[in-house]
Amino acid sequence: MLLSSQYAALGVLLIAPTVLVFCAVIVYPLVSAIYLSLFSIYTPTLQGKWVGLDNYAKLLASGEFWGALRVTLVWTIGTLVLQLVFGIALALLLHQNLVFRSLARGLILFPYFVSTVVAVLVWRWLFNDLYGILNHVLLAAGLIDMPLDWLGQMPNAMVSLILVGAWKYFPFVVITVLARLQTIPDHLYEAAEMDGAGPVARFFDVTLPQLRDVLLVVILLRAIWDFKEFDLIWLMTGGGPVTSTQTLPLLVYRSAFGLNEMGGASAVAVLMMLVMLVFMALYIRAQRQE
Amino acid sequence: MAEVTFDKVRKAFGSAVAVRELDLAIRSGEFVSLLGPSGCGKTTTLRMLAGLETPTSGAISIDGTVVNELAPAKRDIAMVFQSYALYPHMSVAQNIAYPLKKRGVSRADRDVRVAAVAATLQLGALLDRKPRQLSGGQQQRVALGRALVRDPRVFLLDEPLSNLDAKLRAHMRAELIELHRRIGKTMVYVTHDQLEAMTMSDRIAVMHDGVLQQFGTPKEVYETPANLFVASFIGSPGMNLVKGELRAAGSGLAFVRGDLSLPVANGGTAGAAVTLGVRPEDITLGAGPFACTIRVVEPTGHETIVMAEAAGETLVARAAPDSQLVPGQVVPFAVRAQRLHAFDADGRRLPLVFAQSNGA
Repeated sequence: MLLSSQYAALGVLLIAPTVLVFCAVIVYPLVSAIYLSLFSIYTPTLQGKWVGLDNYAKLLASGEFWGALRVTLVWTIGTLVLQLVFGIALALLLHQNLVFRSLARGLILFPYFVSTVVAVLVWRWLFNDLYGILNHVLLAAGLIDMPLDWLGQMPNAMVSLILVGAWKYFPFVVITVLARLQTIPDHLYEAAEMDGAGPVARFFDVTLPQLRDVLLVVILLRAIWDFKEFDLIWLMTGGGPVTSTQTLPLLVYRSAFGLNEMGGASAVAVLMMLVMLVFMALYIRAQRQE
Repeated sequence: MAEVTFDKVRKAFGSAVAVRELDLAIRSGEFVSLLGPSGCGKTTTLRMLAGLETPTSGAISIDGTVVNELAPAKRDIAMVFQSYALYPHMSVAQNIAYPLKKRGVSRADRDVRVAAVAATLQLGALLDRKPRQLSGGQQQRVALGRALVRDPRVFLLDEPLSNLDAKLRAHMRAELIELHRRIGKTMVYVTHDQLEAMTMSDRIAVMHDGVLQQFGTPKEVYETPANLFVASFIGSPGMNLVKGELRAAGSGLAFVRGDLSLPVANGGTAGAAVTLGVRPEDITLGAGPFACTIRVVEPTGHETIVMAEAAGETLVARAAPDSQLVPGQVVPFAVRAQRLHAFDADGRRLPLVFAQSNGA
């Protein structure tokens, strides 16, 4: 046996565990989701019959899928934009020499590590139309005459969701952006200052270009995570009122366990993946071209 | 053209004092180096002039106008940073044009001025590159270009050559001298490298522990160092310093250390502790009234550095490259009396005049 083929064999042996694990946890579920989406399956018994692309045809013809897609996009874009704006703003603030900076940096993580169930319970109290503190404060301040229904009415329910989502996940943006901010050399700011750049120009000409790479990753990750967010929305509104906050992951859940149509649910999941793939491809291409 | 004046300028960071009561008057068009070891306050001084630090007390003026409260951009000065501080996402042309853009210079005007600066610094072919695609020397030139393009009153340079290799540094040194001669602007140059300071400056301000030690031409600083610090900091290899005292000898005084005795022609009081300074080139090996034992011989090609022992001290001397000295050899030596330096117990220069010794 040649030495080079011995090395090749060793190489195959060494990557084999990774490949096997990868197949078991990623390839198999993916392939089986696609496979299941071609059947009509009754969830409790998992018995089903081959229907080909019927599930897809039905979905694409139904208003429910398109409605859920629209809701998902509104939610994802709305909450992501708020996360970025507040995340970058707070990272800039925490980068200054504040008195309780390290304490504040620690506290900022709180929404991110508190369990979603706990966070949602708290927010539902705050948002409650009868005894919620939000309505109480707004009434006391004279901003509203009547208590508002924050979760049972549109567009309030979506606004509430987007706000809570932004609150829960902006610390991720803060931490990543702050880490990058700390590595921007002071000399760049000093040079810009001497070159006549004011604070705003320094942000756009020095800070933002330096943050570009980290923001690329943050937006990519947060967009994926927000797009498939389930627990927060399910616990806050359950997709309601009626289906006005029903995102695609909620539709998957309802199809699989509410309507007991595992095949249809798998089809939604596969379509979700395709939508995300298309967006990511467009996004990455746009970033490369710049 | 601009004069720069520091009037009793002091800068403290908390309890640490970086610069103490600095008085410095830089003439218009002068190339002045701030020279000293790290932590001596030279960079802080430069940054105060740039406006990046505010003096704790005292006044900094440019052309008679106090600029303490003026923002860096309003002082009409440009600075080249040690790290170059080029904007990484901008091309060379955009980097050079940036200060003009921020000052509202029109696009067409900017292009003309960038092209002119690029031609001066031979950057024409690199204008579309990003800083990371440039070598250290090229980045250095872009940083210079960004300073030049504004045509400021004063140029500040913060150790601009320290990140370059030795050969490129020598080349850039010559380019900077040439540039200064051509544009004739006031330049303040911070360095810890005495060779840079000596070769480029009209005058050198030697600093140590936040205190200005001496401000003079390279020749003055080298030939009449104001104190022990300047004497030992300037020159390579450094000045030999021999501690001894003045004693009565014959009709006058003599500096005495062990069996070393040098008659003093003028000045000094008997019994005073004195440190004698002798530059390596002022020791002549091979003939003279004193004797030393050769310890180490270091040929460098154009000269030979010799370490020898005399009167319990190690002396460093320069010898001709063809000198046939070997370690262990005992050779006679002489010192050039008119080139000796003397310092008192506090390190201040003493106005002693030595007489040429003709054998003790």
